[in-house]
Amino acid sequence: MTHQQSALRERIRQAITTQPQSFSTILSSLLAVQDALGWLPEEAIEEVAAHSGGTVNDVWAVASFYTNFRFTPPGRHVVEVCWGPTCHLKGAQAILDEVQRALGLEHEGDTSDGGVSLKYNTCLGACSQGPVIMVDHAIMGNMTSAHAHEAVARLDKSDGNHASQHGA
Amino acid sequence: MPDEITFTIDGVQVKAKPGQTILQAAIDAGVYIPYLCYFPGMKPYGACRACLVEVEGGRGAPASCTTPVAPNMVVKSDTPLVKALRKGVLELLMSEHPHGCLSCHRIELCGPQDICLRHVRVTDRCVVCPKNERCELKDTVRLVGISMELPTSYNYRNLPIHTQDPFYDRDYNLCIVCARCVRACDELRGDDAICMVERSGKALVGTSRGTSLLESGCEFCGACIDVCPVGALVERDYKWEKAAHSVYTTCPNCAVGCQMKLEVDRWQRVIRAVGDWNGEANHGQLCYRGKFGLDFANKAEQLHYPLVRRDGRLVEATWEEALDVIAQGLAPHKGEAYALLASPRSTNEDAYVAQKFARTVMGSNSVDTSTDSRPELVLGLADMLGVHAATGSTWQLLGARCTLVVNSNTTEDHNVMAVPIKQAHRKNGQKVIVVDPREVELTRYADLWLRPRPGTEVALIGGILRALLDESLEDKDFVYKSCEGIEELTRSLAHLDLVRVEGVTGVPQASIRQAARLFAKERPGAILYALDNVASEDRLALVHALVDLALLTGNVGKPSSGLFPLRSGTNEQGAWDVGCAPSFLPGYRPVADAAARDEVGKAWGASLPSAPGLGVRSVLAGLREGRVKAVQVIGDSPTFDAEALDALSQAQFLVVHEHFLSDLAKRANVVLPLSTFAQAQGSYTSLERRVQLVRRARSARAEEQPAWRALAQLAQRMGVKGFEYQDPGQVFGELAALMPAYRGLSHERLSKGGVQWPCPEEGHSGTPVLLAEGLGAGKAKLTPVESPKAPRESPAEYPLLLAPGRVLAQTQREMQVVSVEGLNRVQRDEVVELHPSDAAALGVAAGDMLEVAATSGARIRAVASLTGQLPGVVSITTLFGQLASQLQASSAPDRMLRVPGLEVVPVRLEKVAAS
Repeated sequence: MTHQQSALRERIRQAITTQPQSFSTILSSLLAVQDALGWLPEEAIEEVAAHSGGTVNDVWAVASFYTNFRFTPPGRHVVEVCWGPTCHLKGAQAILDEVQRALGLEHEGDTSDGGVSLKYNTCLGACSQGPVIMVDHAIMGNMTSAHAHEAVARLDKSDGNHASQHGA
Repeated sequence: MPDEITFTIDGVQVKAKPGQTILQAAIDAGVYIPYLCYFPGMKPYGACRACLVEVEGGRGAPASCTTPVAPNMVVKSDTPLVKALRKGVLELLMSEHPHGCLSCHRIELCGPQDICLRHVRVTDRCVVCPKNERCELKDTVRLVGISMELPTSYNYRNLPIHTQDPFYDRDYNLCIVCARCVRACDELRGDDAICMVERSGKALVGTSRGTSLLESGCEFCGACIDVCPVGALVERDYKWEKAAHSVYTTCPNCAVGCQMKLEVDRWQRVIRAVGDWNGEANHGQLCYRGKFGLDFANKAEQLHYPLVRRDGRLVEATWEEALDVIAQGLAPHKGEAYALLASPRSTNEDAYVAQKFARTVMGSNSVDTSTDSRPELVLGLADMLGVHAATGSTWQLLGARCTLVVNSNTTEDHNVMAVPIKQAHRKNGQKVIVVDPREVELTRYADLWLRPRPGTEVALIGGILRALLDESLEDKDFVYKSCEGIEELTRSLAHLDLVRVEGVTGVPQASIRQAARLFAKERPGAILYALDNVASEDRLALVHALVDLALLTGNVGKPSSGLFPLRSGTNEQGAWDVGCAPSFLPGYRPVADAAARDEVGKAWGASLPSAPGLGVRSVLAGLREGRVKAVQVIGDSPTFDAEALDALSQAQFLVVHEHFLSDLAKRANVVLPLSTFAQAQGSYTSLERRVQLVRRARSARAEEQPAWRALAQLAQRMGVKGFEYQDPGQVFGELAALMPAYRGLSHERLSKGGVQWPCPEEGHSGTPVLLAEGLGAGKAKLTPVESPKAPRESPAEYPLLLAPGRVLAQTQREMQVVSVEGLNRVQRDEVVELHPSDAAALGVAAGDMLEVAATSGARIRAVASLTGQLPGVVSITTLFGQLASQLQASSAPDRMLRVPGLEVVPVRLEKVAAS
């Protein structure tokens, strides 16, 4: 086991064992690791299995069930586009199209350089300002296609070097 | 709670047992309700919804597989609502499964080449599915009655078909997501090697991150295949073959005695083995050996005609010629110069005739089973309890509160024996204590794993006995009533204080005490032992100490308790029972007892030799010393290594009954073609004393013969009377008459199911627990424990002991699965664990690449890890998946005969490269 890997495992174990509640479940442990690393590497599945006394397959059954778990490192930036009912009525589709065009993506996912992760969101809770997008946890309301393009394009420019690794 | 519940289904009043679901009660009552996800023996799941019914007074249509029966319930399974819902459910299932044929009324008529009136693509037709004619989905659809109204289009998942793992093919495009396989792996096997992945419309069966079964913890038992209702999971060998007929028989590959259905195709090939859910020894479970190790019955290399050595070469001969040559060859070697070794797969009938032949025709008591190299397993038990077999029953282990497993790689060597242990551990928290220097699969389940220095097992069990008596934890009533010699035992333990035991064994005192407390308090408890890697001079002492432990804790003669010697040969138990052992005549009459010899001799019309016979180990030694001159060997054996073969080639006259021209047969003067288990009719006795039938699945292809018939012919040719047998049933009748424990048995009786001996008379139902009526007239004598001997000296050039291990899953190890010739293989660096003090002495640091060299010349490269617990002992734990792919790729005609075991051997370490 290389030093880098054991350091990663150590971080994962730390996240699992320092959960605040009195007892942990597979799900709570997975959430704790994702909170700490931003995603679930292979080692996380193994460590949660070891901690819970189950097999990796038990853990994977839970992890793969929830769409919010990521199994690849997230991009440096996360862009979420709301497509809830209100935003939809106020034109979310056009915003989504624009964001996807700007990022070169066709669906949810990560840009090829790993810089930006795009997620769909069913409601960001800011319906009065729809259509809404969220860039790195900052909500931006009353979007127009031009604004959305600018917000996303700025990300790209401000951070041209995305080669660095996450979580590892 | 009432014993029975009365309820009404479809207007008929039926009875159900409390706790039964509507579906279970309906099945028992013979009312058909379709189902796909339910499987008898597994917990209700309620996934497929095909079993919906209406219950009067209830809302909607509940799933009958999850609804318990209530008194006076009125259930309707054929209302228009139920029928419509059911159809909808099946249509949804079929929307992701090719179903053009399923819903077509011509399905029974069509062949693969026929013109289809519905334009169903050839690749979508049922006739090209490997499960065709065994498909539960098809049966269900037919019985529910869905006809051509459904369009033939469906949503093909377009998933790759997994064909690179050993033994199985998995095509999840055909999966109907009933989760039977996942539940079988979890509930029945306790492995969790597969899981449900993703959710809702995408939910499917898979493994963690889609890895190969080699690394997911699969034990390749085939339980998932046996429960799969569709063509998603199938055996790769004979994948598309259809059974022409099937036969229920006993597995020939180990001593557990699993019952299986053998499917045989129209060319008489044994194409498939399916666990028999009614088999009391295995409850439907099989293992990698039974499920995928029977193809030897089909091999073209099988010998069909006798071979006789002429001018140094083995040439084909007729039976008459061969028998004449044998009769002549054996004639000068009558008496102690002759020995006969039966095969571990010899039936009771073979073994009985073999020992009768050796004793009456050849005048020698040197008869044994070739795998019987550890007779102490049972002799130790017989010394103290007077019984020559396991005292309990395998599936009663489900009810044991604690199981102690001593030096046994149970999951590999007696696989199904471990299933009730794993089930009980997971379901009821049954305690498992493992004593073994090696890391084996059961150590992953163990509440306590005691890892003694190899060769110090006696001292460790002695320490447990000492801790138990020190804390006064023994079952005093039982000891008072049934045992004597407690003072001597206590005195012998005086020198085994735990400090010393810890020093000798390397097992911490606290763990020894904990083991004593667990085993004493969690009753009933059972002890399983195989004596793997225990030196021959320690074996008796170890068994005696284990029997002491069972007696002190009162774990003898009660349900779910007892001692289980795990014999290695398939029918070693039966062979011993019928007298195929050097010191016993049939029914364990001692050879040394003149009255017993007279009694048996009178029955046979012969006088029996009184000179003590040789067991397999002594036969090999006798061959080397020239005392044994003529040997007759039935079948190949896993114990015939180069050394044994070398000894056997020194025989002046060697007769071999064999399936194949094996290394053993090549050395013979005469080779007689031997029927395989699939061609034989007879019986095996399992290690839990269960006598079960071996039924003929295919006929002989030419002149191969079972050993009993060959030996009977030979006896007749040599002019000896008493061998005029017409069929194996007659042989069984003769042996049963001689043996009180078998007296109530006959082939006819066994055809209704296996019986555990003793079965003294016809109406007797057999004996699941020995000594239940007490320990007989006398008391059991506790055996004092010897003081620990100095550990065996290792050769100076190989100063360390290697304790190899093998487990199903190692999640924290980096590995890669690569495809070699179309088959998956695990690629990784092995890790050798060594004690920091050994590492310091050798100048080894963690991460160094080492080479582990054994006396045999074997060399393993491995990365050093300084996590070893014991100075002087190193360990390497490999993955079962590696073994499985090795077995899959094996070209040996009988690939499960020699599964590499886990032998502790002296080694030395050499540094190849620093980290």
